[in-house]
Amino acid sequence: MPKIESPIARREFMAGMALLAAVAPALAHAKAAPSPYQPLLREVAQLVIPRSATPGAGEVGVGAFVLLALDHGLEGTKGFDHAAWLKTALGADFLVKPLARRRSALAALDARAFAGDAAAKPWLAIKHLILLGYYTSETGGSKELQYVHVPGRFDPDLPLKPADRAFSSDWTAVDFG
Amino acid sequence: MDFDAIVVGSGITGGWAAKELTEAGLKVLMIERGREVRHQQDYSTEMKMPWDMPFRGAGDSDLYDREYAVQRLNRHFTEFTQPNFVNDAQNPYQTGEDTRFTWFRSYQLGGRSLTWGRQAYRWSDYDFGANARDGHGTDWPIRYADIAPWYDKVESFIGVSGAKEGLKQLPDGQFQPPMALNAVETHVRAQIAKRWPERCLTIGRTANMTEGKPEEGRAPCQYRSLCARGCSYGAYFSTQSSTLPAAMKTGNLTVITDAVVEALDYDPATRRVTGVRYIDTKTGTRKTARARIVFLNAGAFNSVHILLNSAPGGLANSSGVLGTHIMDHANTLSAAALMPGFETHTSFGNRPTGIVIPRYRNMDQMDGIGHTRGFSFQGGALQSTWTQGNRMAGIGAEYKEKLRHPGPWRMVLVGFADCVPRATNRLTLDPAKTDANGLPQLRIDFAFGKEEHAALAQAKAEAAEMLTAAGGKVLMGFDQPGPGGTAIHEMGGARMGHDPKTSVLNKWSQSHDIANLFVTDGAQMSSTACQNPSLTYMALTARAAHAAVGMLREGRI
Repeated sequence: MPKIESPIARREFMAGMALLAAVAPALAHAKAAPSPYQPLLREVAQLVIPRSATPGAGEVGVGAFVLLALDHGLEGTKGFDHAAWLKTALGADFLVKPLARRRSALAALDARAFAGDAAAKPWLAIKHLILLGYYTSETGGSKELQYVHVPGRFDPDLPLKPADRAFSSDWTAVDFG
Repeated sequence: MDFDAIVVGSGITGGWAAKELTEAGLKVLMIERGREVRHQQDYSTEMKMPWDMPFRGAGDSDLYDREYAVQRLNRHFTEFTQPNFVNDAQNPYQTGEDTRFTWFRSYQLGGRSLTWGRQAYRWSDYDFGANARDGHGTDWPIRYADIAPWYDKVESFIGVSGAKEGLKQLPDGQFQPPMALNAVETHVRAQIAKRWPERCLTIGRTANMTEGKPEEGRAPCQYRSLCARGCSYGAYFSTQSSTLPAAMKTGNLTVITDAVVEALDYDPATRRVTGVRYIDTKTGTRKTARARIVFLNAGAFNSVHILLNSAPGGLANSSGVLGTHIMDHANTLSAAALMPGFETHTSFGNRPTGIVIPRYRNMDQMDGIGHTRGFSFQGGALQSTWTQGNRMAGIGAEYKEKLRHPGPWRMVLVGFADCVPRATNRLTLDPAKTDANGLPQLRIDFAFGKEEHAALAQAKAEAAEMLTAAGGKVLMGFDQPGPGGTAIHEMGGARMGHDPKTSVLNKWSQSHDIANLFVTDGAQMSSTACQNPSLTYMALTARAAHAAVGMLREGRI
């Protein structure tokens, strides 16, 4: 059996990092520049995925991830300032409104986007990025959902009970589900 | 540098050529254009979680637009697997005006053996006999009986898990125990068999092991399905896990990486190749290596590129067909359906293979509509997870709660249609554009024709029929193929045939013109069948190596 649970030797880890840096300099230093939209995105992420038994999306840094993702054009967001659009769409005073009003304003925008309103369409990509950011975070991926990196076996047919949590590590489901 | 044999390329077939030739006692040089990747040590992302990655596995879209514009379209390409794919900006190629062709490439030690889909299927005489039967292309000079023992050898060595089904069109092999179908797939298999007894849904035969090979340091599959990152367990077949250790063990193998072969050296007096010319990409220096025989295993298109670049008009091209009749399976999502009724079923673990419905058309009777060959399906049933939220309206507690649990079951059937060999689908050297090494860029001219479109139209209709019969609600289906290259089964260009006037290679994958030159990767293929070709490449490589060693010993080459 190969030993792969053992920590990678530092030399090899550094070599791996050097390789990553060589093929993609941007990856080695990916971090969002401070953005004036940070508070807005944090709050909007938290409204989409609020705190329950597990922390919400805003609390685990998804707002910052969305801004990074927008900065790098993920989810087809290149060439359009989604963050500025969101601020306009929700109104300049969005963050000072009471929670119930913030929630209803965002829910209304979400409903319009899913009803096919072209003016609300940029919201879809932002929402996708919030989901991506949350369910690939350690909290969302392994506390809210289950994450098993090395299942070690395949059970083809198990009973599913209503309370059972989904797996963020079900890669086929992530890709095609 | 003098060797008995040079093997150009270290991927699925290069590894096999090196193993077979070194085990026969030959001193072999294997030349790889890309970087070294050591088994276990260099799988840098293998144990990383999504939250360990700067872009959570989705990757830097801007970077991919700039430098991986083609590779990013490959289903196996992610932030985790990016090191195992070429940088398109650094490795350009040209396409004809009306050509859409996505050329997916992995330039590193192990090549695409690290990133392949691992589906391992035998061909049958429906496939080897196809060209003779309908007149497209040129007749294969071999039949199933010629290759069957080599399939046995290859399957036994690489480890293929699968279920024996007794199908004429998809012969059984030397299988390890199969992976299991999930509840939905089991149901669909039974429903299809009930209504269409001649159609069989079975587990994808995959080069992922269900039983380890401890003597080779290979463990069984751990059901991660993260194969293309590289697998330290050695549970799937790659050069690194399987053929390279075997070849190294002989003490007869020399490996050079970061070395791009630009041409073969040819001696017109003896009508033999004498070796290869290559560029050491680390220093930019040009070097040569000499050998008694050369095996081209650079990948179908790159092996052709080397031959085209080795002489004006191409080397080993007295036939004039070098570069012509390239093919790729016509490939599309034939059907996706919701599969109600399984709400109390789930599964655990990530099975690294799906299902396959082998060809059932145009076998003993010509019953294809507008086409004379086969189509098959791959796919499987899966349960939705959080990404279903992308399609769901809602925000807040209730929305989060919905995404906390597995969603509905869905089933997908992806069609693969036989691709007719055509003279107009061809590779040439671009007359003007060169790459970073100063070599002419490859130009691809490719289009699917009416046969492929007809096959995919029938595949779409019948995929929907089958899923509906199994209780599914079909959501969508397509009948237009993706661009050429989509199936990642590009092949042909140095086709095998009986006649030196109309083919490049003979039945031993040996050049008709140059007796000590063998081309045993996808370039040698004369037709595509509708199942994955890699197992056939491997079997033909082992067979050619055996033949070459025999000819060498007898002093014939």
